[in-house]
Amino acid sequence: MNVLIIEDEKALAENMVSYLDHSGYHCEWVDNLNSAQEKIWSYSYDCIIVDITLPDGSGLDVIQRLKTMKSKSGIIIVSAKNSTEDKIAGLDIGADDYITKPFDLSELNARIKSVIRRRSFDAQNEITFQEITIFPYDHLVTISGKPLNLTKKEFDLLLYFVSNKSRVITKESIAEHLWGDDMDMADSFDFIYSHLKNLRKKIEEIGGNDYIQTVYGIGYKFIKE
Amino acid sequence: MKLVNIANRNYIITLILVFVVGSIVGYFVLKSIVNKEFNEKLFAEKDQLIYELHTFEELKANYYLNIGDKIQLDEVDRDPDITPILSDTVMYDKFEKKKLPFRTLTFSDKFQGKFYLVRITKSLMSNNDLMKGITEIMVIVVLLLSLSLIVVNRFLSKKIWSPFHQILSDLNEFKISKPVPLSTIDTTVDEFRELQNALNSMIDKSIRDYQNLKEYTENTSHEIQTPLAIIRNKSEMLLQEPLSKKQLTEIGKIYEASGRLSRLKEGLSILTKIDNEQFVDAEFIHLKKFIKKKLSNVEELVGIKNLTVTTKFLANPILELNNDLAYILITNLLSNAIKHNVENGEIKITVKSSELLFENTGLDLKIPTEELFDRFKRSGKNIESIGLGLSLVKRITDYYHMQISYSYSNQWHVIKIQY
Repeated sequence: MNVLIIEDEKALAENMVSYLDHSGYHCEWVDNLNSAQEKIWSYSYDCIIVDITLPDGSGLDVIQRLKTMKSKSGIIIVSAKNSTEDKIAGLDIGADDYITKPFDLSELNARIKSVIRRRSFDAQNEITFQEITIFPYDHLVTISGKPLNLTKKEFDLLLYFVSNKSRVITKESIAEHLWGDDMDMADSFDFIYSHLKNLRKKIEEIGGNDYIQTVYGIGYKFIKE
Repeated sequence: MKLVNIANRNYIITLILVFVVGSIVGYFVLKSIVNKEFNEKLFAEKDQLIYELHTFEELKANYYLNIGDKIQLDEVDRDPDITPILSDTVMYDKFEKKKLPFRTLTFSDKFQGKFYLVRITKSLMSNNDLMKGITEIMVIVVLLLSLSLIVVNRFLSKKIWSPFHQILSDLNEFKISKPVPLSTIDTTVDEFRELQNALNSMIDKSIRDYQNLKEYTENTSHEIQTPLAIIRNKSEMLLQEPLSKKQLTEIGKIYEASGRLSRLKEGLSILTKIDNEQFVDAEFIHLKKFIKKKLSNVEELVGIKNLTVTTKFLANPILELNNDLAYILITNLLSNAIKHNVENGEIKITVKSSELLFENTGLDLKIPTEELFDRFKRSGKNIESIGLGLSLVKRITDYYHMQISYSYSNQWHVIKIQY
């Protein structure tokens, strides 16, 4: 899986490259519009992450170019929070998703995975982790072939975990993933805990293993021991 | 009280006082002058009479020198030897046909070998009429003066003070976010020109300061974004490292703080955007639908505290608002009602045709009511809250000229918005 990151801030790009490399992607990074145009011309990517504000122009131009090239790449826009115009413009010309700065790498990772899944309409449209198989489009989960009955939030949570397997996921990031902007309305961390408890119970009830590890005070990690 | 009325009142009071005192003094002065003249005239007549009596042979009992003047000669046996006496009497006047005041000069003289007591009686009528006339003139003058003073003052206040009123209305209209320079005034009054100059330089300075501050906020808000993202992602990366529990906890705190800072930044940048009027496009918002949708999104979060939400839609108002601002408004009101609620508490949302009520149970606030809508005011221990929510609400309601008020009674917090 090839991912192109178009981001002018070196420190940010480094983080993305490092996190995504670790998740099994092959990442390339350019820091300006010109090199980006060159790259998309020469190579094909599964997903392209575009920062809207670049030193030599707008990231929207890259999206435009990709669309005229009829590229199959998934596109995720990165932009400042609350700049609705950018968001609408980007989605209008064919971007698949939109993420605002500052974001969690785990969230970006989950978004990339989701975008790539949506782009590739092959039969392999399922995610497997040990005995757990997730069918994202049907909102189905099976444990060793047995169906697991989950609520929407539990499903989202499990998918988020599996997308970021073996990584520490902070509780803030989970809360934001599940509730978005509303996360700070209430003590949502307590709620994550109760969702997690239910998820664990349901998986164990039909013979699955508990892969959710608590990282004390910080968050959780979905990992095979 | 208006300046012109204060001036008028004082002028008129002074005018009346001066005229009353002046009239009284004038009356007595005039009276004594007239009296003196009158007496002098009487004495002059006496001298004339004596001359005539001594010069001419024929004597008459009564002489009439003037109409109304009467001379009476009484023959007496011996010399009365009196100094001339003035005395006032009231007598019947046959011309005026009523009793009138008269003044009599009595003296004695000897002519043709006989002693006479002579009385010259002169009507005081003309004297009194004069006094009356003068008093009438005085009163008329006072009235005319007062009237003209009021008129002139009103006129002056309209004409001369008009630049002042112009400046005043300009100042009332003045908004620092949308500065309009004061209109140039056409006046010869130095004070007003100075006032305008002083105000202009003050306004210029305020505008500059405001612009600087605005730019600073905008820049800070924008520039802070990237370093924040870096801190957040770097700490997230560090959390993946095989570090000790203590180290991980410390990094967790950095991560958490960066999250709070970015929420704060976001709030501030919304405030700046509202100030910069960057939320211009308005659309018709069905308040009922809008609130219902928002409520369904937060159902779970409401459930955490086991809160009961009751909604009363007594009307279905359609407001013309910017969608983002409407979202921020309702989200923050709701967030406020959830966050500052108590376990098993209640939230009541009432929508009327021109009023929106958010009521929630909760503990008494530790901050004064009037400070509630200020930035960074939060009550109690809730450090997670960034303290911008209600000031955002206030700014949005101000922006749309809605009235917002807060009250607290019996453990119920009520925020009322009138649109």
